[in-house]
Amino acid sequence: MAKNKDLDLMESGSKVKIGISDMIIRGFGYFFVTLYALACVFPFLIIIGTSFTSETVIRAEGVKLIPKEATLQAYEMVVHGGLIWKSYGLTITLTLCGTLLGLSIIAMTGYALQRKDFPLRNGISFYIYFTSLFSAGLAPYYLLMTQTYHLKDSYFAVFLPLLMSPWLIILMKNFVKAIPHEITESGKIDGAGDMRIFIDLILPMLKPALATIGLFLALGYWNEWYQSSLFLSSRIAVKPLQFQLYKVVNEAQALKNSVAGQYVSVSDIPTESLKMATAVLATGPIVFLYPFVQKYFIGGITVGAVKG
Amino acid sequence: MGKGKAVAASATGGKKKRGIRETLWKYRTLELMCLPAIIFFFMFSYMPLPGIYVAFVNYNYQGGIFGSPFIGLQNFQFLAESGKLFELTKNTILYNLAFIILGNILAIFVAILLNEMRSKWFKKVSQTMMFLPYFISQVLVGILVYNLLNYDYGFVNTILVKLGLEKWGPYSDPTVWPVLLVIIHLWQQTGYNSVVYFAAIMGIDAEIIEAAKVDGANGFQKIRYIILPGLRPTLVILLLFAMGGIVKGNFGLFYNVVGTNSILFPTTDIIETYVYRAATTEFNFSRASAVGLYQSIIGFIMVMISNFVVKKIEPDYSLF
Amino acid sequence: MKRKLLATLLCASMVLGLAACGSSAGSDSGATANTSGAGDAQATTTTDDGASTDAAAIDTSEHVKIVYMTTGGAPDPASSQTDEMLEQLNAILTEKVNAELEIYYIDWTDYLANYNLTIAQMDGSIDLIGTASDWLDAWPNAKKGAFLPLTEEMLQTYAPKTWESVSAEHWDLCKYNENIYLMPEDNYAQWTNHGYAYRLDWAKEAGLADGVQSWEDLTTYFKYVKEAYPDVIPWDSDGTQYGQMVGGWITSHSDYVSIDGINSGAMWGGSKDDLYTVYSPYVTDTDSLVAFAEMMKEWDEIGVWKTDVLNNTASDNREDFKIGRVAAEQHHTQTWTDLCSHKEGYTIYDDDEDAETGFFYFGQETGNVVALSITHGAMAVSAASNNPERALMVYDLLRNDPECYALFNYGVKGVSYDINEDGMRFLPEGYNSATDSITTNFWWGRNDDLEIKDATMNWDAIEDLYAEYDSIKIDYPYGQFVPNVDSIQSKIENINEIHTNYMKQIAFGKYSGTAEEIVAEYQEALKSAGIDDVTAELQAQFDALYK
Repeated sequence: MAKNKDLDLMESGSKVKIGISDMIIRGFGYFFVTLYALACVFPFLIIIGTSFTSETVIRAEGVKLIPKEATLQAYEMVVHGGLIWKSYGLTITLTLCGTLLGLSIIAMTGYALQRKDFPLRNGISFYIYFTSLFSAGLAPYYLLMTQTYHLKDSYFAVFLPLLMSPWLIILMKNFVKAIPHEITESGKIDGAGDMRIFIDLILPMLKPALATIGLFLALGYWNEWYQSSLFLSSRIAVKPLQFQLYKVVNEAQALKNSVAGQYVSVSDIPTESLKMATAVLATGPIVFLYPFVQKYFIGGITVGAVKG
Repeated sequence: MGKGKAVAASATGGKKKRGIRETLWKYRTLELMCLPAIIFFFMFSYMPLPGIYVAFVNYNYQGGIFGSPFIGLQNFQFLAESGKLFELTKNTILYNLAFIILGNILAIFVAILLNEMRSKWFKKVSQTMMFLPYFISQVLVGILVYNLLNYDYGFVNTILVKLGLEKWGPYSDPTVWPVLLVIIHLWQQTGYNSVVYFAAIMGIDAEIIEAAKVDGANGFQKIRYIILPGLRPTLVILLLFAMGGIVKGNFGLFYNVVGTNSILFPTTDIIETYVYRAATTEFNFSRASAVGLYQSIIGFIMVMISNFVVKKIEPDYSLF
Repeated sequence: MKRKLLATLLCASMVLGLAACGSSAGSDSGATANTSGAGDAQATTTTDDGASTDAAAIDTSEHVKIVYMTTGGAPDPASSQTDEMLEQLNAILTEKVNAELEIYYIDWTDYLANYNLTIAQMDGSIDLIGTASDWLDAWPNAKKGAFLPLTEEMLQTYAPKTWESVSAEHWDLCKYNENIYLMPEDNYAQWTNHGYAYRLDWAKEAGLADGVQSWEDLTTYFKYVKEAYPDVIPWDSDGTQYGQMVGGWITSHSDYVSIDGINSGAMWGGSKDDLYTVYSPYVTDTDSLVAFAEMMKEWDEIGVWKTDVLNNTASDNREDFKIGRVAAEQHHTQTWTDLCSHKEGYTIYDDDEDAETGFFYFGQETGNVVALSITHGAMAVSAASNNPERALMVYDLLRNDPECYALFNYGVKGVSYDINEDGMRFLPEGYNSATDSITTNFWWGRNDDLEIKDATMNWDAIEDLYAEYDSIKIDYPYGQFVPNVDSIQSKIENINEIHTNYMKQIAFGKYSGTAEEIVAEYQEALKSAGIDDVTAELQAQFDALYK
């Protein structure tokens, strides 16, 4: 790797002489970016460290980066009973189904709305965009979901609302915009139907878009806790991972600050290391998704640079 | 094409109607492609809208939204008179301004530095690291912050104690949170935003840069006279869109970091967190919705203004 | 070929997506369908129930499910003991009233939010609602129409034992607008008046032969502990205790009776001999507050708490008390009943056989003890319930039938608990709390007549104190008062903030200047925040209710 770097430097150096100012900027750049990147990762390392520390050590000595004696105690507790694996199964299912379904709908809609000859496209675009301007708010939404749709204690209450957003559809439109209209025209000349054109000609060109928007959707599902907190009561034993994490973290807080605390014994309140172990397990896989889609993702953001 | 025009021109009223039906039929596939999204937004965004009425009633359980007594603007009046509305709006807007201004400065800064790096490996690894915070849930952000800052065993205090210094208790001190929340927000978003600017820099004509170098421009001059001006369109567009969302708060962040710690509310309560609390723990559906409606209206106006301006500057980017 | 594959994949993914998600939530939607089906069936019963009430013949021909909502998390899915208990209980309930019970748990996480939102559904999914006028929103919920008004006839017909066991005065306290909304847990000794639990044996060493009898004795005690036991922190208070401390001081030095539920500082109330004239001792009792400020400064100088007490938000004082690291715990009587008993892990009793834990309760000097509001725990019937009559019948059994009561509160005998020769409750051999305990969170109808005492508790000491309380207590007088704070909310919030800011300094002796100065400054701030306006408004509402 170091070799490569030298090569790069030599190359650019051979073309134009590197000035002192370039050296300063570059040196400072390496320094600052390294520092900043470390700062981004640092809190995660502390969490991982804490999750391997025993509770008594945390209480006595505080949180440290590297535990004196590593213990798997907290992880054993989290894994105990197997509930966490069921949560995994649920979250993975929701993420996969939601991303695939959402992506399909968003891609179709985005394509249709970008077809210059489609007379309804402005109307429908506005219909969709309007929803991001005006929302009814929490109370009417909650009552609708529970009283009209009867989605309380149903995973659909978590699954459905995250399928798409106006912003993702606009993003998809921008991607499609970059594809020349002639491709659609040529498909028409060949006598293909709209669906056929979309699947055969357009979709293959949308790979960066699908990767980018797919990643957004997947993140949305994986990191979901809010809908769950509204709609999944304790009747549902298996909860999405982040909500499980949210519960573990906030239970202690809720009890400490209320009269209700009198009804609960201290031993039932989750410990610090347990929280951290849950955090590590609940976050884990999604972080490793990024390197796989990085290539497309960065390209994707470029096209969709403008957030709606 | 020309043929179609001719047909339309010679059509009578009746035929025109059939024309619409025919058009609808002609684009049935595209319409069907949009249908799932249309149904989705109808179900989850349009269906709740009539419920906004709740902001004008004194909600009770049995009457529900439409059966509770109508009290006109009393909910709004209360909020305005108690000073709550002003305080929430102020907090929300000031936080957003700080997020937008500092966020863009830091992102541009990082993007420019990244652009100067020659090592591809370094760029890739550092970008991956910077993206990490963008990938995690707000719940985890809350935990990370707590783990760093809590009084009893937080990382910062562990270090302070080791150094023989006095402990620091931010969770009982509202004054430090504006700074902390801005830092947390930047930490989470800069990785993403810097990529946007990085891409914009890549879009600047490489020949101009080379030419400048040949002309003897040094590194600082290059940044000052070529890169920064090159980023201006992107910056302007991003800023304008951010302005459109200036009254929309980041609920997940504030709720998970601050939570129910009422000591911190004076400096950390934004519209979203108030609405959530009012609707749930205080159970005042009507008042919560009144604040929500107020926010929607202000937000609507802001978006309209910013979109109007964008349309003037860069018609390509305007939303509608 | 490739294109075709892609097309097929896309279609397949959509279909799969739908199907897979459908099946993963399938069991769940099944359950929803079930309840709604039951709801339809129940709706028909309700319509002809009107007639059956008149006829006074209770029609229980149709088997119904009664859902009881409580706060607190559901039992661990790994433990089946609660289900086992419910099975036995439901057999009895089916036999007696042809109904079965289901428990709907509201997790502690965001419990107030989820509790209120679940009530708001009003779709008949809940029948019985555990509620409280002080720590849950019993009165606001009743006002907003969440609860069914219970007529005397209904109670007499469907919950006769409960109707008889609650006195007429107590029923009066459960009324709003002439209607009964709550069935109070009024026959259960539960004292939540605060005070200091302390080491009685150490107090005796300090020369306090009768234990701590006054705040001045506490000063003596803390001084002694600091000197005699240097390793012990007299009281590792956290920074949130200021409100209880000053509240306790006022209770101990006046006849003040506070109104619950206006603000956390309970800063308004009446006095024992003039209950319905509202005042705030924080404004009127200047001398007392100055004395308090002085004494707390003294405590701070003694080193009763750590110097950084104000930033301490999470001390483990109670746990530390059990193992002898601290010498006092400020909390309510219930907590003390635990601390004074030799339970497992309470090593102070293992290490020192003379160890005893005494309790100095606020109001001890003046005999100012107010019993817990009888609606600290109460049961209500949801206004949306499809079977309110049967819900009442089930509640009547849970509360008054010895067999149901024991099952529902203690679990299956021989597994979750056992009874010794003294008739007291103990944990059977090989008891494992993870698998053998039950979770019903029934805090809305416990009944001392049917309680089985816990053999591990120090009943001699506890009953002595309870008897002392009973001889001096007054009933909480303001149980029905539902303050309407809309017009004064912003002033109350400002007052809360002032109270927090100043009282933190005063109660931990961390103020600069003299005690007189800081108290004067505090009272000045309260006045400019409009405390007198709040008092006047509350008085007006009092007059409307009590005159």
